[in-house]
Amino acid sequence: MLSKVLKRIAISIPVLIGVVLLIFIMLRVVPGDPVATMMGEHVNPAMIEKISAELGLDQPLYIQFFKYVGNALRGDFGTSYRLNRNVTQIILESFPHTVKLSLLAALVAWIVGLVAGIIAAIRQNRLLDRLFMGCSLMGVSMPVFMTALVLQYIFAFKLQWFPISGFDSWQAMILPAIALGWNSAGSIARMTRSNLVEILQNDYIRTARAKGLREHGVIIGHALKNAMLPVVTMMALQISSMLSGAVLTESVFGVPGIGRLSVNAIETRDMPLLQGTVIFTTILIILGNLVADLLYNVLDPRIREGA
Amino acid sequence: MKKKLSLILAGAMVLSMALTGCGGGSGSGDTSATAAAAGGETAAAEADTEAAAAGESSESDIDTTGFLVTPKDTDIQTADVQRTSADYELPLNIYDRLADIKVENGVSSVEPSLAESWDISEDGLEYTFHLRQGVKFHNGNDFTAEDVVYTFNRLLTVSGAMNTELLEQVQGAAEVLDGTATELSGVEAVDDYTVKITLVEPFGAFLSCITAPGASIYDSEATEAAGDQFGLDPSVTVGTGPFKFVEWTLNDRMVLVRNDDYWKEPAGIPGVVIRIVPDTETQTMMFENGELDIIDLDEIPDAVDRLKATYPDQIVEGNRVGVTYMIMNYNVEPLNNINVRKAIQRAIDRQAILDALYGGMGTVENGIYPHGLIGFNDELPAIEYDPEEAKALLAEAGYADGFTMELASDTSAGDAVAMTLEIIKEQLAEVGITAEIKNYDESSWLDLRNSGEMCAFTATWTADFNDPDNFIYTFFGNEEKSKIRSLNYPDADKMARVTAARAMVNEDERIAEYQALEKEIVQDDAAWVPMYSRVHLFAVSKRVQGFTPFWSGYGDKPFYGITFSE
Amino acid sequence: MGDTYEERLIPNAEEEDMAAQIGESETWLDQVKTMVRQNKLAAFSAVVILLILLAAVFAPLVAPYDHLAQSLTDRLTHPCAEHWLGTAELGRDVLSRIIFGARVSLTIGLVPTLISMVIGTVLGLCAGYYGGKVDFVIMRLADVMLAFPSLLLAMVVMYTMGGGLINIFIALSLVNWAGTARIVRSQTLSLKEIEFVEAARSIGVKKWTIMFRHILPNCLPSLIVLFTLNIPSAILSEASLSFLGIGAQPPSASWGLMVVRGKKYLFSEPWLSIAPSVAIMIVVMAFNFLGDGLRDVLDPYLKEQ
Repeated sequence: MLSKVLKRIAISIPVLIGVVLLIFIMLRVVPGDPVATMMGEHVNPAMIEKISAELGLDQPLYIQFFKYVGNALRGDFGTSYRLNRNVTQIILESFPHTVKLSLLAALVAWIVGLVAGIIAAIRQNRLLDRLFMGCSLMGVSMPVFMTALVLQYIFAFKLQWFPISGFDSWQAMILPAIALGWNSAGSIARMTRSNLVEILQNDYIRTARAKGLREHGVIIGHALKNAMLPVVTMMALQISSMLSGAVLTESVFGVPGIGRLSVNAIETRDMPLLQGTVIFTTILIILGNLVADLLYNVLDPRIREGA
Repeated sequence: MKKKLSLILAGAMVLSMALTGCGGGSGSGDTSATAAAAGGETAAAEADTEAAAAGESSESDIDTTGFLVTPKDTDIQTADVQRTSADYELPLNIYDRLADIKVENGVSSVEPSLAESWDISEDGLEYTFHLRQGVKFHNGNDFTAEDVVYTFNRLLTVSGAMNTELLEQVQGAAEVLDGTATELSGVEAVDDYTVKITLVEPFGAFLSCITAPGASIYDSEATEAAGDQFGLDPSVTVGTGPFKFVEWTLNDRMVLVRNDDYWKEPAGIPGVVIRIVPDTETQTMMFENGELDIIDLDEIPDAVDRLKATYPDQIVEGNRVGVTYMIMNYNVEPLNNINVRKAIQRAIDRQAILDALYGGMGTVENGIYPHGLIGFNDELPAIEYDPEEAKALLAEAGYADGFTMELASDTSAGDAVAMTLEIIKEQLAEVGITAEIKNYDESSWLDLRNSGEMCAFTATWTADFNDPDNFIYTFFGNEEKSKIRSLNYPDADKMARVTAARAMVNEDERIAEYQALEKEIVQDDAAWVPMYSRVHLFAVSKRVQGFTPFWSGYGDKPFYGITFSE
Repeated sequence: MGDTYEERLIPNAEEEDMAAQIGESETWLDQVKTMVRQNKLAAFSAVVILLILLAAVFAPLVAPYDHLAQSLTDRLTHPCAEHWLGTAELGRDVLSRIIFGARVSLTIGLVPTLISMVIGTVLGLCAGYYGGKVDFVIMRLADVMLAFPSLLLAMVVMYTMGGGLINIFIALSLVNWAGTARIVRSQTLSLKEIEFVEAARSIGVKKWTIMFRHILPNCLPSLIVLFTLNIPSAILSEASLSFLGIGAQPPSASWGLMVVRGKKYLFSEPWLSIAPSVAIMIVVMAFNFLGDGLRDVLDPYLKEQ
């Protein structure tokens, strides 16, 4: 087990280096002078030169890279062009909001997805099944920002049940969590349903039924456990899409999280900030996948035996 | 089986804890500092009692009930106005300047602020400011001449200085900027309440320059102590202004509270919450639900009609001393042909654009200086929309069949600008000119424009200080300035006259010269396509009284003067 | 090495199964026919897609107006007999814009998906077939790509190159190849052990011939399903990028851009954003239904994903 863990960690390291290198290079081939962009209308050639030198942008690329990696290892992702602050500090300030949002969304996705999936499976091919599956397909077919806008318009603006924007109270967190979780809920519901439908036809379920267990007991007690495994795996895969969706949800609802930060960084051409947020987010995903992966090893006896 | 399920749950918890673990750790490193922690003691006491009275406060330590709430679509860079050329809302409210611009009935004048009065020497080189006594900074320090000297030195030397052009004409500024001197010799404290500023040569617009937000006055002691945290950490960012900066949660909100010791009448509202709301439609929704007090309608001109119908008495119109223009590059064939340029001037139906995109809220301009600017000339002959005349001019130039040109679009500039170009393209097509819109991201757009190779584009220039110099010198000041705007105006004589006009001591003669130059450049050379100046509209909630937008038409709002009707 | 969570979803292909599948007399075309008979929804979706494709191709004939024709006097008219879906902010007919927009949005759905799948297939084949270092390098590269949240990576690409259609193609192509590579690789791994491939190898058939003549055709069913399912996600990605202001640029109107521009008129002229939203949803749902249907009949590998 331990060697397995170490092995997976070892594999993650080159991936991590690749991520940093790729992002660094991509952001360096940007056309246009970042400093000139910062100055915008109030352009002044002498100032451009001075500020470029202050930022170390006049040094060769490889030196910039090694400096960056060296500093990054010490937790220093440089200074944001626009916000004049340490990128690490900015990220750490915004990050808890994104985590809160993502976890709440995951909760929504799990609960809604599982419940809808189970009900749909029990009522296979009946009205409720069709309805739930239709809704879940809509969830998958709508861009996250559209879901968010519709929710915002109906529940916050028209009905005034929730604040329209912000993330500073529990009421304010509900709509963003639903908007972000909707999509995943759809996938989870579809997957739970198809797994359950398959399992319900299995022999041992029939046996359990024959033994006189009540219908609900059968489903919850047996089928669900077997159906959980792929769902857990899918949740791991969803970390990445969740963080992608967070970018959009945070923009619609004004959540001061890391997704908004990256959008702002793009809008204002703030290279160090963009670099920091992307690398940080990616590290998160790699870690998340690592944990999910190890979890899977623990959960799945077939693999455990195989290892 | 049971074991497996519990394992799954345990695993999920581990995962979530791993995630929140990072989050929790960072929570303690939260730097959304509040002034309650340090600095202004009065603010601290006040905030504490108010918070206790309210009994609850969500994340901040300050009770913001009864505060004015207004949105911004992105966070500001810094409240250190010397290091930004974009974010003036905080500086306008937490600092004061030596003097201010006041516009009444379209006539603008410079009125005293931190300086009670000033004398200008005969030769126009020496400005002596007599400072107001008894003014205190938010930290309790007295405002003295030393603060002015410190502030103006820092304006030129601080890293990332963005407003150096305000003091370029001051003696010693060039030396400080190129590093050959460390002290700005032209600014000296004569005594505690007198400052003398000496210029290299007379500069008629100098007084206007020191009214710019960029020339806000800082406390020498606090600012020096704050180092690079000045403008970032509210507790160390102090000024003399009507509001104190007390809280800044990145990407979420900024909070200002009233300065009860203000040297004028304290502000009419207890404080201001500036919330970051990224999306203009969201802002509109929040306004309609009563969550916001003032919203900027500049980006949503189409909502104006509807809002006007719903809230007839709650629309505030602000002047905008800014002109939207179109540039035609002299280095690009056939834009170097005067008849072609004149044809383009006449082919664009500016009123139609104004009507279509901005609900007609603005005025067509015929020169470089817009309405509201000192030196605005309403006697300039109007450039009439006349496609027939344009066709004739094109034929005369030898382009009866038209030609192809490029319109460069900055994709970050917003939908209205993109649509302006689409309409211009259509209007030019009517006279036979094929204009192709090419999209650039902001950086590439600026790069291309700064290199002097952009064919044509539109943009808006809004006054930094109220003087024609700020407009004509920016575009026609010298070869480099003209190139950086992709104008490449070839007439060196006229550009020399623009530069020379800066040093004219007689105000009437100076303005007359500026107006003559404007006429020659726009009318005779057709080197500039004036478009229009727009009204800046805001919607305010029922309770807001007395809101006056900033004179130049910035979206940055001065909150001093606002009262609540309830 | 490559035993990541994603591939574990793919059942260990046992040789008998594989042989059985390959030996099946039914070609995949027959299977599609079965689907059309059995899965009415998928068949209907296919018809919808076909209709939209035709409308896009023959847009100038189908659309009632020129989609770029401005009419500043007729701006923002409500839906009426002349303009079924009203007019947009510069007086352009919304219905015509949606029909022409189908060209842009479908191209965004099809082209980058195709490019990324070609890249993914070739790399996946190489990784699976050569194994060893080649496999390691390609798969680590795929890991790097998969480690990014796709939208964020696309954002970075757009940041680097600026907005615009071509750049969206590049961004989406770069972002999405890794998933395909993984699936193709794992199929290649199992296929290359099968008898007839080994036989081909033993008689000295060239590697590339084996890869493209013998292995690739057997991956085709999975690839078709993947292709169908990747198209809607490309369309949605473009819409999201446009929402963030770094997607398609006017006047080339993708549906995503139309939604975003129409959003400004949400209160007074809601159809400006609703109409293109509905268009996006219809296309995305149609492709999803079709993809699901195809998967059920074609692809034993992807069924469990």
